[in-house]
Amino acid sequence: MNQSIQTQSPNNVSLLISQSRTNTLGNKTGTWRFVRPKYQEKTAPCSNACPLGIDIAMVEMFASRKDYHSALNKLLMENPFPAICGRVCFHPCESACNRQFLDQSVGIHHIERFIGHWGLSHAKNFDTYPELNGAKIGIIGAGPAGLSVAYFARRLGYRCDIFEKSEYPGGLLKSGIPSYRLPDRILMDELERLNNDDIQFKYSQSISMDQIKTLNEHYDALFLCCGDAHSIALKISGEQHSIDGLDLLHQIRSNKMPVIEGTVAIIGGGNTAIDVARSLLRMGAHPIILYRRTRKEMPAHSHEIDAALKEGVVLKECLSPIEIQKNMNQLEVKFQCMKPGDITDGGRQTYIPDGNCSVTMPFSHVVSAIGAEMDIMWRNDQWELSMSHCQMKRIADQPVFWCGDLTTSEKTVTHALASGKQAVIAWDVMRNQSQNEINHICHQCQVGKGPAISFDIYTNGERKNRNNTEIVSFERVNSAYFPKIPAIQVNKISQESCQNSFNEVISGFDETQMMNEASRCFNCGICNDCDTCRIFCPEMAIQWDKSNRHILLDYCKGCGICIEECPRDAMNLEVEP
Amino acid sequence: MKEVLEGSHAVSEAVRLVRAKVISAYPITPQTHIVEALSEYCADGRMDARFICVESEHSAMASCIGAASAGVRTFTASSSHGLALMHELLHWATGARLPIVMAEVNRALGPGWNIWMDQSDSLSQRDTGWIQLYCETAQEVLDTTLQAYRLAETVNLPVMVVLDAFFLSHTYEPVDIPDQQSVDKFLPSYEPRISLDQQNPNAIGQMAPPAYYMEMRHSIQMAMQSVLANFNDVEREFEHVFGRTYGPITPFACDDAEYIFLMAGTSASTCRHAIKTLRNKGHKVGVIKLKMFRPFPYLYVRKSLGNAHKVIVLDRNCSFGAGGIFAQELRAAMYASGNHPQIYSFIAGLGGRDVTVDHFFEMFDYVEKADYPENESVWIGLNHDN
Repeated sequence: MNQSIQTQSPNNVSLLISQSRTNTLGNKTGTWRFVRPKYQEKTAPCSNACPLGIDIAMVEMFASRKDYHSALNKLLMENPFPAICGRVCFHPCESACNRQFLDQSVGIHHIERFIGHWGLSHAKNFDTYPELNGAKIGIIGAGPAGLSVAYFARRLGYRCDIFEKSEYPGGLLKSGIPSYRLPDRILMDELERLNNDDIQFKYSQSISMDQIKTLNEHYDALFLCCGDAHSIALKISGEQHSIDGLDLLHQIRSNKMPVIEGTVAIIGGGNTAIDVARSLLRMGAHPIILYRRTRKEMPAHSHEIDAALKEGVVLKECLSPIEIQKNMNQLEVKFQCMKPGDITDGGRQTYIPDGNCSVTMPFSHVVSAIGAEMDIMWRNDQWELSMSHCQMKRIADQPVFWCGDLTTSEKTVTHALASGKQAVIAWDVMRNQSQNEINHICHQCQVGKGPAISFDIYTNGERKNRNNTEIVSFERVNSAYFPKIPAIQVNKISQESCQNSFNEVISGFDETQMMNEASRCFNCGICNDCDTCRIFCPEMAIQWDKSNRHILLDYCKGCGICIEECPRDAMNLEVEP
Repeated sequence: MKEVLEGSHAVSEAVRLVRAKVISAYPITPQTHIVEALSEYCADGRMDARFICVESEHSAMASCIGAASAGVRTFTASSSHGLALMHELLHWATGARLPIVMAEVNRALGPGWNIWMDQSDSLSQRDTGWIQLYCETAQEVLDTTLQAYRLAETVNLPVMVVLDAFFLSHTYEPVDIPDQQSVDKFLPSYEPRISLDQQNPNAIGQMAPPAYYMEMRHSIQMAMQSVLANFNDVEREFEHVFGRTYGPITPFACDDAEYIFLMAGTSASTCRHAIKTLRNKGHKVGVIKLKMFRPFPYLYVRKSLGNAHKVIVLDRNCSFGAGGIFAQELRAAMYASGNHPQIYSFIAGLGGRDVTVDHFFEMFDYVEKADYPENESVWIGLNHDN
């Protein structure tokens, strides 16, 4: 009710105005509402693009608050090796990052690397391995896929035995990736995370298909994670004069560093070709990459090609080797010149021989790096279960999962880790529920549009307020809240050091750089308690006590201002039920 | 300290000296120089005030209303279309009894588009409940602005200090700028009688149903009726500190005058020149400069015009269909007076056109020959060949 007051001034000037001291609590504006806001978190495009489905928006939020423990826990939830992935993953997350439409993508992998590194000194050992559940699995191969199987399986209570044909764990992480990209110390430190009494590594154990039946008797399930162990041959005359690229990388990583000088031909266009070329450069040779198509078609990742060319590697396009001849101390390689042909239905440019045009060039060595394939004994096309990152068939009534490079089309470390996670979840569902439930359960655990699945959702249930399948587009980000800030440039060693040593090229962010970069993240789709909704609510209907933000429906009139203002699309408007 | 200042900056100096806390304005010629200087004072620290940039005059006045409701000294300035846009909130400022002070630079309204001197804009706001004080010189502008705050805060009504476009706003004159200490003595810090209070939350200007509204309107009228006495008090205090005084009206050579001119603003200066010539020719002529228009100073006007036979009113405005506004007001003021002179209404100098000494002679000739005034205002200085 309104009141009026009259104040007599000393000079008796009349002053009568309307004034009220009642509050507006009696005015329940909620009765006006026909739509209501709700906190509805969504999936960020980076998470959707991540093969492991890491909750990246949350990682960046914690990182920007210097809460490294929480950031690391978010990473370790889905990924056993953030310090490694922060270095070697080709970060599809950054290609999907919404920030690129404002200025530049967030340097997600540099932040992951920083948090992973923090973990090496603060949480090297994963301390939340649960009690064993009585079942035991066998893993063939201690590469990324096999290690991932062990990590996730142990977290579900399985005892694991890993059979590895070499004398050390890591697979290609150890033997294939040069140390200027992944230093040995980081690899070894991070593998400590699997140091657990119930994960047994059995080295120098080469397992063949014939032994699988025998092994089966000792395990509840087997996981084949042996990777593409065989290089693809050049199949040209004189190929015996060439060196195998993967073998070479392996030798370089071992203490038996070969001596290779002069101008070296590297045949191929994939990441192995780039790794070989950049390694040879550091050994004092002059590497030339010869590829039968053009740079545009090279399967190697673009920033790796850029780095190689910048360091001084030479690339020659449209040359396909047809013959290697030994002549004195030199190898003469004859190349067929290639030219663009038709474009395939898939849109890929084909290349065809350019008539009889050929060139011959002398080299001191020729390295073949045209790819690798699995051992023929693992080939199979009869599956009982076929998923995006693993396949399964029963051998002697026991489930055997094919994982990692044996099944994935994209042969990267991160996809191999994703494969291990998927296979373990599939096996766990099979064992505890039934094989028929696998697709349904995996769909429930899907991150964004998939195929990545979340171990977090599998073990802890659906995330509060989160719609996992809805992805935040840039249009839904309120970019008015984000001034343009270019990405923080990462520290690198000098060009000279690159050419003379195997020191790690990228030295990573310092803490300030990391926090600044993490603060650039929009935190798409998640509530980071920015409080914008509460500040803008014209009815003061948004309440925030401690960690709980809620809407007073007695007063919310459904104007939708909170949703319009939310900088990161963490709210939705829905029709009043 | 005397400085040569343009009229606009005489306002700015006064606002600086009264230590206004919130200034909110939207630029419009010919007012812009006033707030331009104030924005610089706010930016460079010469004033400890918040300058609020707004998107319209409507918002400028709304900001002042908000700030004044919170209990601080506020200022804005406007002209012409800008003032017209403020109209709704001018009523609000009065109803809320907020002592807001505004400088109003008299400018014509379009179309035709015209940025020059004309009284139509301020006189269109006659009934909004704002005190209106018209000025003639830059010194008067500065002094009146200082007085306006004291008056507004005494009677809880908003005050418009009105000055002619260009003739006053953009003309440089020597101005005595008082020192801060003297101004502080004349105008102590503001103690609001009513303001928002976070400790005891209140809302001002709430609904007033029929049982209350009329008393509130009456209260405004009572306050308006107290203005003249309070203005005189303020002037006495002002004279005590600064040695200058103006009065609600300023008569010149009126004691024995048979003919008295009446007008507001800078044309009074021109008129005094004309009167000296007319006096030399033996005509008993005087002039009254009207400073206070709202509230209308009935008693002063009646007393000063009591012995005149004929009054010549110059309006630089026109209420279409009724004629010059000052003339109408004067006729209404004199109606209740027992002995009232004939009142002749002239319209001249609209849209910045000069009002010359010859125009005053022309008006005098007309009035001297006339037996009684026409109903309609007589227009002086029209170009008939246009």
